[in-house]
Amino acid sequence: MRRFEATQLVSRLAGNAPIVSNLGPSSDELWHAGHRDRNFYTYGSMGLCSSIALGMAMATDEQIISLDGDGSILMNMGTVASIGREQPKNLTVIVWDNEKWGQTGGQTSHTGMGTDLEKVAQSCGIARTKTVTDLEDLEAAVSEALVTDGPNFIVAKIEEAGYMSIAPVEPEFTLYRFRNTFVEPRQPGD
Amino acid sequence: MNWAEEIIKTLKDWDTSMVVYVPDISIHQVTSLIDEDPYFRLVSATREEEAIGIAVGSYAAGRNAAVFMQSSGFGNSVNALASLCIPARTPIPMFINLRGGPGEFNIAQVAMGRAVIPIMDQLGLPHFILEDDGKMDRLLDGAMKLCHANRQPLAICLTQMLHGGKLA
Repeated sequence: MRRFEATQLVSRLAGNAPIVSNLGPSSDELWHAGHRDRNFYTYGSMGLCSSIALGMAMATDEQIISLDGDGSILMNMGTVASIGREQPKNLTVIVWDNEKWGQTGGQTSHTGMGTDLEKVAQSCGIARTKTVTDLEDLEAAVSEALVTDGPNFIVAKIEEAGYMSIAPVEPEFTLYRFRNTFVEPRQPGD
Repeated sequence: MNWAEEIIKTLKDWDTSMVVYVPDISIHQVTSLIDEDPYFRLVSATREEEAIGIAVGSYAAGRNAAVFMQSSGFGNSVNALASLCIPARTPIPMFINLRGGPGEFNIAQVAMGRAVIPIMDQLGLPHFILEDDGKMDRLLDGAMKLCHANRQPLAICLTQMLHGGKLA
């Protein structure tokens, strides 16, 4: 399963639900899959994608989707415990797991050496977990997650297939237009 | 109103109902009150960097958030400030128990405690140190106003001279 095709699928299934994407290719490919105001692209703060999504899920009742990566989750595994502790019903974490650090030279990550992120999630108290390896199973898992109380944690095994061009994204504008889908835009004098 | 109650009043005045924290014995004087107050949602993070990420997510979804931590943990949050909060412009007030000052007994707390302000300066982020509760209401209100006007994080450092908490 290629990440871009999987991202297109998730973007289509998400409807109007906010999506937070991990830095680098996950954000680029989300933009190429179809830019929308409710995409929150990150280009730094590696490890925090699902933490940001957790904060969103606790601030709103809307369904929130995190498109994280294995290297990123490994960097901040404590946030899986926080998700298990808080039990947000409206959060779905999808981990693009290529078992490597793709952008830094393709070094094998811990998931390529035996770490099972689905079991990590289960041990943190996240009951609804799945590991999928093809688009058909991913579609079934995400479709179910979006209509079922979570938190949901889906590990999607992917293969690297090259990188797309860097998306023309400005972090300040990303936050501004994303937030304005939840609140009234700032007015003169605010 | 004591210093902890002043902080709670200020958070409410600025519609800041999400509080993310990493436990600390001195700021516990505030976070324990927050935990009992139904106005707030208190979230325990495993690490300060994670706390920043959760707070940013809350703000992005329309709910203002504050972070509480100790100065030792501030060191864990620097990349989140530099590569998330600053480029995205997020007004996250950070209440930091500042270790390493008068009364400190632990050598391991001194260097990081003394590095908080220089790091904030290097990042170009505002900061204030509270040594006592005089004019605290005006300073807290002004700090929150600055935080939102600047749409950047800001540090309000709480010292032992203020809270009198034990440093263990």
